[in-house]
Amino acid sequence: MRVISDADLRGLAADLLAAGSTVWGPARVPGSPRPGVEYRPLREAAELDLGAGLPFLPLKQVFLPPTEPLFWWERKGTEVRLVPPAPPNRRVVVIGARPCDAAGADAMDRVMGWDYRDELWFARRDAATVVTVACERPADEACFCSDVGLGPSHPRGSDLLLIPHPGGYAVEEVTAKGRELVAAFPHRFREDEQVTPGETAAAGPPRIDLAGVQRWLADHFEDETWNEVALRCHGCGACASVCPACHCFDIVDEPDSLLAGTRRRNWDSCQTSRFTVHASGHNPREGQHARVRQRVVHKFQVFPRRFGRLLCTGCGRCTRACPAGQDLFEILTLVSERALETS
Amino acid sequence: MRELRELAVRLLETSDVQVVIGWEESRRGVRPAFAQTPAEAERLVFDQRCVHNLAAYLHPRRKHIRGLGRPAVVVKGCDARAVAGLIRDNQLRREDVVLIGVRCPGVWAENKAEGQPGNRRWAERCVSCPQRTPTLCDYLIGEDSPEPSGGPGLEAQVERIQALPMAERWAFWSSAFERCVRCYACREICPLCFCERCLADKSMPQWIESSPHRRGNLAWHLARALHLAGRCVGCGECERACPAGIPLSILNARLQQSVRERFEFVVSDDPVAPSPIGEFRVDDGQEFIR
Repeated sequence: MRVISDADLRGLAADLLAAGSTVWGPARVPGSPRPGVEYRPLREAAELDLGAGLPFLPLKQVFLPPTEPLFWWERKGTEVRLVPPAPPNRRVVVIGARPCDAAGADAMDRVMGWDYRDELWFARRDAATVVTVACERPADEACFCSDVGLGPSHPRGSDLLLIPHPGGYAVEEVTAKGRELVAAFPHRFREDEQVTPGETAAAGPPRIDLAGVQRWLADHFEDETWNEVALRCHGCGACASVCPACHCFDIVDEPDSLLAGTRRRNWDSCQTSRFTVHASGHNPREGQHARVRQRVVHKFQVFPRRFGRLLCTGCGRCTRACPAGQDLFEILTLVSERALETS
Repeated sequence: MRELRELAVRLLETSDVQVVIGWEESRRGVRPAFAQTPAEAERLVFDQRCVHNLAAYLHPRRKHIRGLGRPAVVVKGCDARAVAGLIRDNQLRREDVVLIGVRCPGVWAENKAEGQPGNRRWAERCVSCPQRTPTLCDYLIGEDSPEPSGGPGLEAQVERIQALPMAERWAFWSSAFERCVRCYACREICPLCFCERCLADKSMPQWIESSPHRRGNLAWHLARALHLAGRCVGCGECERACPAGIPLSILNARLQQSVRERFEFVVSDDPVAPSPIGEFRVDDGQEFIR
């Protein structure tokens, strides 16, 4: 099997940086009160830190930045001139993505290419090669990827999947882009017959009945369950910020003068009350229960019905980030149990 | 724990309280709980893990909590200061809430990041806490405990940043604010951010750009901090909620220092002490007007 050593993986990052690629990977954040790593654009390969666990924030910022210009506009008399944003770097490589993050981007591909093809999204997706490192074990009890049809070494959304073994990684070429990366830097990879492909951590049997969840959600839009689980929610939206699959955005115009300005899109979240407020002042999702319900129903019923994929990869980040102790897996377990009671 | 549960049960059974807001065990530590029956009150807990400021559930924007009826709330010293703030700012009437004060031992810093378990240290705000035992309460339970010590306190952090040359201080905050994604989790969880419509959400005109770029983020964080001058109780909830890991507590603490120096005002749990932002004094310093 093809393998890459720890040193060569770092070397690959160095080669890519030297060749002018943008390289993202988990790295320490100076000045943050939080320990651990985040996905960051690396300045040098030495910053790459693959041993520090799951980044607190997801990978989605690589493909959907928290803010990005859609175009710059200028008015001259009756003429309006539009200037598109600069194209992204032609080659972006993510080294050390986690399977839940890679799968999150794959879920977002469905909606970004649905009724309208989002050119900015796909320009970034097309430019990027995702090198994923499989998880050796769940990060903590918030993880539930194996319960949503994925797993610690699931290849969905990855171009190369690296499965850890002592001193390095077994390399699984998932896509043509992954094969091209290997072909471009052959000296970083070698063949080792001793290493055989295999799962890292066994994906356990699912603990929730997803079909039952989907069925129950479709029939229980109005249900006391939503009032119960929403009580502790502050509507802060931290869950959406850290979700690898949440993708809602707001579009704003920021004038530089009366005659020119920038139209931008910015991350948004359905968990805040202002998300659905109409110009009239009416808010169709008035209570917090309606917003919590929206998050669960969209991810586990509406999105899968339309796109055949869940909008959740079981990374558990929303659970880790929630300042009020909301626990998505617990909500799904509750719904799964209620589905069993009503079936 | 027995004392807390017995009191909660008694309040639900015999007085005009429909919900006791406290903490319960969950599979990932403790979290806010809303006991509406005596049986649910038997689940309440309190210990050093109870980091959350439950006063945030009392302000008028929490319509789903107000709908439950008259609440009793378990308050630590810092939480009681937030309740006092809500009363001082006319967002809550004292008679509309029953306060169960706890003699707070200090709380552990929460560690939300994966892979860093067990590394117990005091929350920075608890080292040199101005008042652990609330005076604003209807009941006071728990026992006295030694003052939390060891580890870096918040004051030390403020001093460290203040000691930096201006350019380095600017670089520190610039890089912190650069991480902001403008989710406003800091605002939504703040017990004192009770405005029905925040300045940052106003778009005609757009006072503060909503984009998470350098200009928008700086405007937002300065506005947020200034609106909490003389009001922030130092509970650290904004920093705890921030998904981007921005050390907001340092900024808040520095601002409260300023308020202390200029207006001789310390945020306490006295709900009638007029706050600098809520009163006018002819002898307020005005040397900055030139």
